[in-house]
Amino acid sequence: MPVWLQEHSWRQSLTAVYLSLPLRGARATAANIFCSEQYLKVSIPPFLFEAVLYAPIDDTNSTAKIGNGNIFFTLYKKEPAMWDSLTLANADKEKLQHLRENAVLKAQEKAKEETEAKKITKQENKKYALEATMKLEEAERKRIEDLKEKERQKVTKELELWKNQQKDGDKYKSIQTKEELHQEIEPLKERKKEKMNKTRIPNEASSKTRLKSTRGCHGSCSIFSQDLKEEQLPAPRAAATIKVNFTPRVFPTALRESRVAEEEEWLHKQAEARRIINSDLSELKDLKEEEKNPDWLKEKGNKMFAMGDYLGAVNAYNLAVRLNNKLPLLYLNRAACHLKLRNLHKAIEDSSKALELLTPPVPDNENARVKAHVRRGTAFCQLELYTEGLQDYEAALKIDPKNKIIEKDAEKIRQLIQGTMQSS
Amino acid sequence: MSAVLGPERPQVVSHVQQALNYTVFDCKWVPRSARLMCLGSAARGTGVIQLYELHGARLEVLREIEKPKPIKCGTFGATSLQQRYLATGDFDGNLNIWNLEAPEIPVYSVKGHKEIINSIDGVGGLGIGEGAPEIVTGSRDGTVKVWDPRQNDTPVANMEPVQGESKRDCWTVAFGNAYNQEERVVCAGYDNGDIKLFDLKTMSLRWETNIKNGVCSVEFDRKDINMNKLVVTSLEGKFHVFDMRTQHPTKGFASVSEKAQKSTIWQVRHLPQNRDIFMTSGGSGSLHLWKYEYPAQRSKKDSEGSEMGVAGSLSLLQNVTLSTQPISSLDWSPDKKGLCVCGAFDQTVRVLIVTKLNKI
Repeated sequence: MPVWLQEHSWRQSLTAVYLSLPLRGARATAANIFCSEQYLKVSIPPFLFEAVLYAPIDDTNSTAKIGNGNIFFTLYKKEPAMWDSLTLANADKEKLQHLRENAVLKAQEKAKEETEAKKITKQENKKYALEATMKLEEAERKRIEDLKEKERQKVTKELELWKNQQKDGDKYKSIQTKEELHQEIEPLKERKKEKMNKTRIPNEASSKTRLKSTRGCHGSCSIFSQDLKEEQLPAPRAAATIKVNFTPRVFPTALRESRVAEEEEWLHKQAEARRIINSDLSELKDLKEEEKNPDWLKEKGNKMFAMGDYLGAVNAYNLAVRLNNKLPLLYLNRAACHLKLRNLHKAIEDSSKALELLTPPVPDNENARVKAHVRRGTAFCQLELYTEGLQDYEAALKIDPKNKIIEKDAEKIRQLIQGTMQSS
Repeated sequence: MSAVLGPERPQVVSHVQQALNYTVFDCKWVPRSARLMCLGSAARGTGVIQLYELHGARLEVLREIEKPKPIKCGTFGATSLQQRYLATGDFDGNLNIWNLEAPEIPVYSVKGHKEIINSIDGVGGLGIGEGAPEIVTGSRDGTVKVWDPRQNDTPVANMEPVQGESKRDCWTVAFGNAYNQEERVVCAGYDNGDIKLFDLKTMSLRWETNIKNGVCSVEFDRKDINMNKLVVTSLEGKFHVFDMRTQHPTKGFASVSEKAQKSTIWQVRHLPQNRDIFMTSGGSGSLHLWKYEYPAQRSKKDSEGSEMGVAGSLSLLQNVTLSTQPISSLDWSPDKKGLCVCGAFDQTVRVLIVTKLNKI
């Protein structure tokens, strides 16, 4: 139950009401005061003071001063008239309640309006600021553009001027050459001197954009000066050859610093592969010297393949692989043999092994990789695993997009796949 | 690395842009004129030479010449100012010299190489330098050959791999040190990062080194003076500037290097009017304008008392991106300071003006 504050004193003038409310030790802040047009409430728990005012007041302009244990209200009347009393008398409970609610609602609305108004002004301010900066930037840009335009025009004018001089110079030259063509050598040498003097003058009079050269007279004098010059030219050099050595480079492509690491890795792998020999095979003792060399065996295998002896080739490659299982080309070639022998699964295995060994992918092993993909693709297709086959053909195309044969085959496979999908 | 600040920096202004219907491999100004040449390869596999003239803000086609083989490179370096014959190298290894007034039959023709001529340079013409006019070509067959237009069929110098050695592509060649009638050097860059300097007077290899990336372009700052600086550009966005005045017996020439872009630097060209300013063009379609500053002392003595060079420093004056495709060729006009033309693989040739070069 709140404690009603009854002691208050007030006085009035025509336009304002002055109300003084003593606080019994309570501390008041602006939040405790609620005021609307016709209703005033001060609530400092547990104290409560409320008044339904006699007549409406202008609550935006009215003030409340808090201090000295007192709140001093200055309420400006809406209509300047003398009030009979501070509060409305004969106010029954319902009316009071109604008034209170109204007051609260009104206050809320007011608050809302205020925030909205604030928001709108804020937005407008922002917009204004933005527009101002945009204008400034626009002006700056325009200024720079103008400068550039001016430069361009100036330069264009200079260019035109210079060009016209060139044209005049050229015309002059051509007139001279025509004249001189009809003359003989002796009097011509004198003429030449004369002309040099004549041409000097227009040369000097023309603008400084001309290249100055003491040999300028060559440009404007006759062909005969060229003859003279030719006599002064040394004879063609005696032919000779200089032999050149290049910094060694394995790859045919240009050297790039960023690729050096990759290339080194590939070369390293190759070198290692050649050095590995699986020496714990007892059958080695029975082999001849040459047959222990994987490269020699590879050559043998290639020859047998070329002659059509696919089984023999496979044997050769098998032995070579037992000696050195890190050479990708052995697997690649064995895959080709298996394809011919229709050992399709083995062909797939070998091509895969070859591809594994052909990492990292550098331009040097491009050819080998294309072949491996194509062989594996063919094997897949012959096993009717067309999607896998197409994958391999597309990988091959990616490495070598210009190969028409691979393109055609890939197209064929795609059509096959589409055909089987439609029928199933 | 210092940078020239603010409004005093040279600006690269794009003056004219011309779309072409062929791939342009090289573009060059015709000396003493406002005309330029574009050389390249048409879609049907033939070579194209186009002659343009600069008219205000447009390029007007003056002539279009078609040749049976695509053309890779060309130079005016070895002709006289009156004749202005164009020497070209094509995809088949043929070196031809054309009179543009009568281009049906070449003035000089030789099947110099077995494979494409990647790069060509000329010296001794245009009233610059002394000595016989000569042309050098570098080809994919690994050889570098020097030709004299007065001698048919055989080169006057041939730098070829030793018997049995596998060849490397020669990507770029340049003449230098032609300050009197006898002296001349040829610098060649290869795809395995080798740079070789051949002395034509003594017919020997004067210096070689390897810069760890394929060499795309070499140029001396001036062909007709005692060799001063050599700029070498390569793959991976790097370029090196060698100080060529002091050669140390073991360490060779001193150099400073810069990694300018993430992509290949296709071309370097020095400004004809100021040999310390050069422009590099990159695979990302950008152009960078550089200035070289000499060190306080260009040479010093090392611990054994032999002279060794000291490299200076580089500062970037400006950079600009013009295209999305590599700018493969670049040429400054020898007559108008700051005027340059560049050709890119987006089939456009652009004429640019670089301003404020006087203030550098």
